[in-house]
Amino acid sequence: MNSSTHPYEQEEVMAYLDGELSADRASGVAAHLRECAECAELVQQMRGVSVQLTNWSVEPAPAALANRLEAARKDRALPKVKPRGGIAAWLDGRFAPLGGRWAWGVGSAVAVAVLLLVIGSPNLLRTRKAREVTGLNTLAESKQLMAPATPPPDRASQMAAELYRERAQISESLEIQNSRSAAIMIPQATGPMIARTASVSLIVKDFGPVEATVKAIAQRHSGYIASLNTASPQDSARTLSATLQIPSAQLESAIAELKQLGRVDQETQSGEEVTKEFTDRAARLKNARATEQRLLDVLREHTGKVKDILDAEQEIARVRGEIEQMEADQRSLQTRVDFATVQLSVQEEYKASLQGAPPSTATRLRNAAVEGYRSLIESVIGIGVFALQALPILLLWGIILFLPARWMWKRFRRTAAPQS
Amino acid sequence: MTSDEQLILELKQGSEPAFTELFLRYRERVWGFFRRRMNDAAQAEELAQETFLAVFRGAQRYEPRASFRAYLFGIAFNILAADRRKSASHQTSAHVVPDEIPATSGTNQETALCVRQAVERLEGDEREVLMLREFEELSYEEIAKILYVPLNTVRSRLFRARMALRDILTAAPGSLGGRK
Repeated sequence: MNSSTHPYEQEEVMAYLDGELSADRASGVAAHLRECAECAELVQQMRGVSVQLTNWSVEPAPAALANRLEAARKDRALPKVKPRGGIAAWLDGRFAPLGGRWAWGVGSAVAVAVLLLVIGSPNLLRTRKAREVTGLNTLAESKQLMAPATPPPDRASQMAAELYRERAQISESLEIQNSRSAAIMIPQATGPMIARTASVSLIVKDFGPVEATVKAIAQRHSGYIASLNTASPQDSARTLSATLQIPSAQLESAIAELKQLGRVDQETQSGEEVTKEFTDRAARLKNARATEQRLLDVLREHTGKVKDILDAEQEIARVRGEIEQMEADQRSLQTRVDFATVQLSVQEEYKASLQGAPPSTATRLRNAAVEGYRSLIESVIGIGVFALQALPILLLWGIILFLPARWMWKRFRRTAAPQS
Repeated sequence: MTSDEQLILELKQGSEPAFTELFLRYRERVWGFFRRRMNDAAQAEELAQETFLAVFRGAQRYEPRASFRAYLFGIAFNILAADRRKSASHQTSAHVVPDEIPATSGTNQETALCVRQAVERLEGDEREVLMLREFEELSYEEIAKILYVPLNTVRSRLFRARMALRDILTAAPGSLGGRK
């Protein structure tokens, strides 16, 4: 394979397979793979190698690993899997009666020496030789757990601390690389992402060809019409309201063409920067995908209870749902950036017209009769409704006031009778 | 589900359940890391234990700047390298591939043996890159940081390893599903 026949190196094809290429290179390789049988065969072969490697499984981790680790974690001391020999054991035995004083003295001297050495040659620990002892120092630090008491900082621990700082730098660079990868995955996020919207109100004299012209403008600028409504009310001007989705790059030219339809009554344009929202969503999406992958790994490697497996599957389904929702939101946001939204409102220039002839006398009489009948019916219904509403309370007051009224009436009659 | 990075930060604050959770998540992976590279299962177990203890002790110094997985296997690789140097000083045999075959079914056992023998025949540097990629699933960048080699070197070694492994598996009479 050479670059004259294949635009991509084989290693790049492999990097594409591993998801290590930038988005633009990956799309290029993907397009090439669709056309080049030789490179597609190479991909198949590498996939075959990966599949075959999955056959190399190992037995499950020993249960004792968890027990010993738990004990070591609680005791802050590493129980020995094997008895250790060598100088450390010899020194331990020889100087045990002196307690920690000997260790403190030697450790302090070594620490001072290392400090002077580090100050004298600041880049020493970054040399290859120093890097080669990283593992040893990490191991030495782990071995400190075996000691019953924490020893003073010696040369190994000093160097381990330096190397931890170096590892932190490595981690930082890794993070930067990861963020770069995320940015590469979403090339639009590298610059400011603006979701543009515009609103145009027009008044046209000739309303007839407006709809066809608007459609043609949208099509000419590789856009589309999201919605379109026309109204032709009687005794009023005709109107058209439409929502156009126009590629952001062609927004200005499309609006310029739309404005040629008639007189501009109102025009507004606005832009909303969504870079942060887009980046945040991309990060959340990446985390969710990583979570899903870990869940899948847990499920694949899990050999516990069926309930745990079902719980893991439910969690995977939940995370998958979140991922799909976030992907949909991301696509929607991307569409808002790629396509500007234009709210178009077109109104016909209104010309008032004469009213039609007034109705005839017969029609007016008939309408009056209908109105009178309707009023009668409504009055009767109103009386009935009032009676039904007021009757209970009238009955109640009648019962209450009947006896006093009757007594007063009889008294009035008695006083009136002698006089007469 | 809490992420690994959140868990190590919780561990940094002294959360013991966070460490337990990390251990449960990565026990098999770390064990597999050492088991595939060592003859002695007991030694692999010891180094896996040391790796987790180093994580436990180093949690105070952990900074959330990279994936926990890369951090964890970086420690594991350093511990492995130290053990290899120590073994090399004591004896000549510190072979990567274990002699024992895990207890699996017959066909899988044969396939696993075939694959292991094929990996064993790779160059040491290329083999390490291949294993970190295929089994530990680290990115090129993470592998480059762990091995202290340039990114392009990782890619070249990985490509050579895969092509060599393809040829070995294809040529091996007992290979299963080898493609050409």
